[in-house]
Amino acid sequence: MMKILILGLDCAAPEILLEDERLVNIRRLMSAGCYGSLESVIPPITVPAWMCMSTSQDPGSLGVYGFRNRTDHSYGGLGIVNSRSIQELAIWDQVAREGGKSVLIGVPPGYPPRKVNGIAVGCFLTPDTTKDSYTSPPTVAHEIERLVGEYPVDVKGFRTDDKSWLRDQIVAMSRKQFTVVRHYLQNFDWSYFHFVEIGLDRIHHGFWSHHDPTHVQHDPNSPFKNVVRDYYLHLDDEIGRTLELLSDDTVVLVVSDHGARKLDGGFCVNEWLVQQGLLTLNRYPEQVTPFAKLDVDWSQTSVWSEGGYYARVFLNVKGREPQGVIEPADYERFRDEVKARLEATTDPEGCPLGTLVFKPEEIYRQVRNVAPDLIVHFGALAWRSIGGVGYPTVHVQENDTGPDDCNHAQHGAFILAAPESPLSGRIEGARLLDIAPTLLDLGGYDIPTTMQGRSLAASSNQSALGPHFGRGFTARGEALVRDRLSGLGYIG
Amino acid sequence: MRFRKILVVGLDGLEPSILERLMDAGELPNFAHLREVGCFTRVATTTPAQTPVAWSTFSTGLNPGGHGIFDFIRRDPRTYLPDLGLNRHEQKNPFVPPRAVNSRRGEPVWSILSAAGVPSTILRCPCSYPPDPLRGRMLAGMGVPDIRGGLGTSTFATADSRVVPGESENLIRLRVDSDRVVRSHLIGPRNPRDRSDIRFEFELHPGSQPDSAILRSAATPGELNLRVGHWSPWLKVTFKIGLLQSARGMVRVYLRRYNPERDEVELLVSPVNFDPAAPLFPISSPGEYARELENAVETYFTTGMVEDHAGLSNGRLTEAAFLDQCAQVWDEREAMMLHELDRFEEGLFFCLFDTSDRVQHMFWRYLEPDHPANRDHPVDPSLHSAVDDQYRRADAVVGRAHEFVDDQTLLLVLSDHGFNSFRRGVDLNAWLHQQGLLALRPDIKPGESAGDLLQGVDWSRTSAYALGLGGIYLNLKGREAQGIVEPEEADNLSAWIARGLAGLPDPEQGGAIAVRRVSPRAEIYHGPFAMESPDLVVQFNAGYRVGWSTSLGGIAARVFEDNTKLWAGDHIIDPRLVPGALFSHHPLYLGGSGRGPGLVDLAPTILAGLGVPVPPAMEGSPLR
Repeated sequence: MMKILILGLDCAAPEILLEDERLVNIRRLMSAGCYGSLESVIPPITVPAWMCMSTSQDPGSLGVYGFRNRTDHSYGGLGIVNSRSIQELAIWDQVAREGGKSVLIGVPPGYPPRKVNGIAVGCFLTPDTTKDSYTSPPTVAHEIERLVGEYPVDVKGFRTDDKSWLRDQIVAMSRKQFTVVRHYLQNFDWSYFHFVEIGLDRIHHGFWSHHDPTHVQHDPNSPFKNVVRDYYLHLDDEIGRTLELLSDDTVVLVVSDHGARKLDGGFCVNEWLVQQGLLTLNRYPEQVTPFAKLDVDWSQTSVWSEGGYYARVFLNVKGREPQGVIEPADYERFRDEVKARLEATTDPEGCPLGTLVFKPEEIYRQVRNVAPDLIVHFGALAWRSIGGVGYPTVHVQENDTGPDDCNHAQHGAFILAAPESPLSGRIEGARLLDIAPTLLDLGGYDIPTTMQGRSLAASSNQSALGPHFGRGFTARGEALVRDRLSGLGYIG
Repeated sequence: MRFRKILVVGLDGLEPSILERLMDAGELPNFAHLREVGCFTRVATTTPAQTPVAWSTFSTGLNPGGHGIFDFIRRDPRTYLPDLGLNRHEQKNPFVPPRAVNSRRGEPVWSILSAAGVPSTILRCPCSYPPDPLRGRMLAGMGVPDIRGGLGTSTFATADSRVVPGESENLIRLRVDSDRVVRSHLIGPRNPRDRSDIRFEFELHPGSQPDSAILRSAATPGELNLRVGHWSPWLKVTFKIGLLQSARGMVRVYLRRYNPERDEVELLVSPVNFDPAAPLFPISSPGEYARELENAVETYFTTGMVEDHAGLSNGRLTEAAFLDQCAQVWDEREAMMLHELDRFEEGLFFCLFDTSDRVQHMFWRYLEPDHPANRDHPVDPSLHSAVDDQYRRADAVVGRAHEFVDDQTLLLVLSDHGFNSFRRGVDLNAWLHQQGLLALRPDIKPGESAGDLLQGVDWSRTSAYALGLGGIYLNLKGREAQGIVEPEEADNLSAWIARGLAGLPDPEQGGAIAVRRVSPRAEIYHGPFAMESPDLVVQFNAGYRVGWSTSLGGIAARVFEDNTKLWAGDHIIDPRLVPGALFSHHPLYLGGSGRGPGLVDLAPTILAGLGVPVPPAMEGSPLR
């Protein structure tokens, strides 16, 4: 069996991670293995994407469609996902079946800390690491605090305008987390190690407009214009120091759950539904108001939506919702009509946004729990979904939950290297669901038949790798001895 | 006495007797001044008297058993293969870069000073690669490889199809195209995937004058002017390694002949040096210091051994062109020294000038008209003073350094070993073979057919072998891969070899003694790394040295041979015959140790002079 290490970089963008020549450790890893962009799930969101990756199950099969999910068909409630929401067989379970121990650090949703055969450290969903138990076993927290002091799982209030504070907080968090990662890499007998770094996601959301010259709010003179790129250099350095600790029998994956892209603005989906006559309010609010606080006339409402990076659109169906209005027999026709209207949404100038609208049963193998009726990527995620009402326009530049510069892109990135791996060079068409079977395959484990992806190694007919970069400097052999001693003089 | 600054100017291989002769003749006013107002003494060098060993003892205050540098060459007992003894590159796993690891262990004086809060500036000290972290600045010296990982391999490019490769060089065949343009390439690092050479293409076009050419490429500068008989400025090159990685390096080009109409084009390209702006491996501490220094004093050679003696030995360079290159190195080193001295406030300053060693190796024959090397090589009367000129250059450097001395400064000028003649080579493996201690496989005779790298040895019948520059190893069971000598027999066998080889007479020289002593390990080394040393070290008499063949594991047909190579001077003999020299502008009390001063005393002297306690592990005593 090979050891398996995942260094997850939440939101890492392939166009930076795989293209910036200054990321020397990343490039060395690329050169030693294979890499490419990685098609994420729909929606490409941290929760559920990391668990989709770990289980090779699509969001519908997990029954998790985002951070917040309807728990029933009432109008009230969205439940926030926690670690117990997902119990499908994950890589670490398969490793445990072979007796191997795992270390999970920050794998979302990771609160409450997941009970694994090994160690689990909570993710950014942990409310407060100074008060709540965020590790399993709980004693691990003491060891972490001895190592780095107070352990941050996120930057509280990362949607802020105080950019230099934000940058410093994120970097400090990342350093502490990598210190902990390296500690357990060296001091715990693991077979599977999975770390998810959330700092990069926070950096992207906080600084993408400073980084991306095509962003509508880009200021070429911004003092923060290098923050995004510099953060990749920071990660490259941390990763380089981490890779040094590995033994030769390790499969290494650097991977992101989705990419990043500039945000052109916010699309006020409920505002739009009101204008379309699909959502009726008893009273239009005088100021911007979150959807949950709106006074909705449910008896006159056929469609409503939750906002976020993407929109979850719900139909008010008779017999399903408490005050449903859509006849079940009319459901499909009506849903198609709403879908068509959403797909026809335009930007402020009237040009089509290129909005993508998905029916859950068409994109998921199973649709469990309470799924949205439609999943909407406005402008293919160039536009965020704004759930509040009271703007009163449909297109806005501000965000109802605080400043945000970027949205998620459908494609993340991966770099996969393992000694003797048959995979090398750029690989096209890899999907997030292929990761778990690929890792198990390269690690020498059985691939559970329930996993939905395929091993990239199984479809590969590439020949085994030659000597890796740098071996020319280390390998022995007579020609190299002559190279090394050439020029000594004393030996003639 | 306490000092705020201690300046150590290292001058590699200056021979005390030559210093005395030239001082007495009034040729070295700065050295003579130090002798007059301060001190001049011989200083015991290490066993063996080799640059990396000696400077490591200087920096650590330990015998080689304490710092682990015993020879330029070490061997791997599992493979019997030699390798460079100064450092190695190891790679922990395929995902991380190989990393340089210094073979010098022990704690160098600058680390002790750093821990005590005292800064150091260390320029080009041997065996400081990879550079030690320290308070201050360090530029690594001997041990820094070229881009292929070796000490330095030049490339000779010629349109003459009769030329065969010389020692330590790559050979490239040039073809002059019909448009008088030569299209060729530089040889970069090995491709990690298939070990092939990574190339960098260039074109050579006729220049504006006869005897001149323009080298056009994607390098910086894009057009480099070359003149016959001259070294070019630096050419900075990026080698692409696959799609993803690149390695930056730089070369200087010597245009030897240029007559494209007659198909006569020859150029010598220096080894590909690391670019100080982006070295493949760190060569300075802190890492960016190498680049800062480049910005301050212009681009400089980064390889550990710069002077292209192989180019001279192979006849690619004239003696004048070799000395030209040596002068460049002196100049750039002096510029570095002055730049750093100018801003040096406190602590330890060290700068090594090692060109003096290389020039003495290559021009010693001019001091001895009857040297065997002169039989095959014409003597150029204008170069009779080449060796003495190095001492004059050294004297000028001492004068420049002296300008930075105030009443709180101690100036020390140090050579690590002396110099002597190398007239006769002693092939230790041939001797071991004659004694029945080293057996060859059937059908293999000593000489050419035995090859090198100990390829012809029958290990099942071999109890001792020689490798490197004077070391003999037992084929020890449990240590060597195919060892046959039982550990309990080892001492007896060592003693037997030492007795037999000591006093070895040279029959062709009227029975002159070639080997003065043979020292078993236990007599010369102690400390944690002593077990890595050769089992025996041979101490040659003046005029002798280990033969060319033995050093890389050959077995020559004869024990003795004349040394007819241009490399006609050497110092790897009984260290008592080649002490170094120590000058100070302050009187030093030299009797503290109860023996004469030695290199091992310098680190304690520096610590004591800067008011830092001398760690008990240090073996020497302060010269106060």
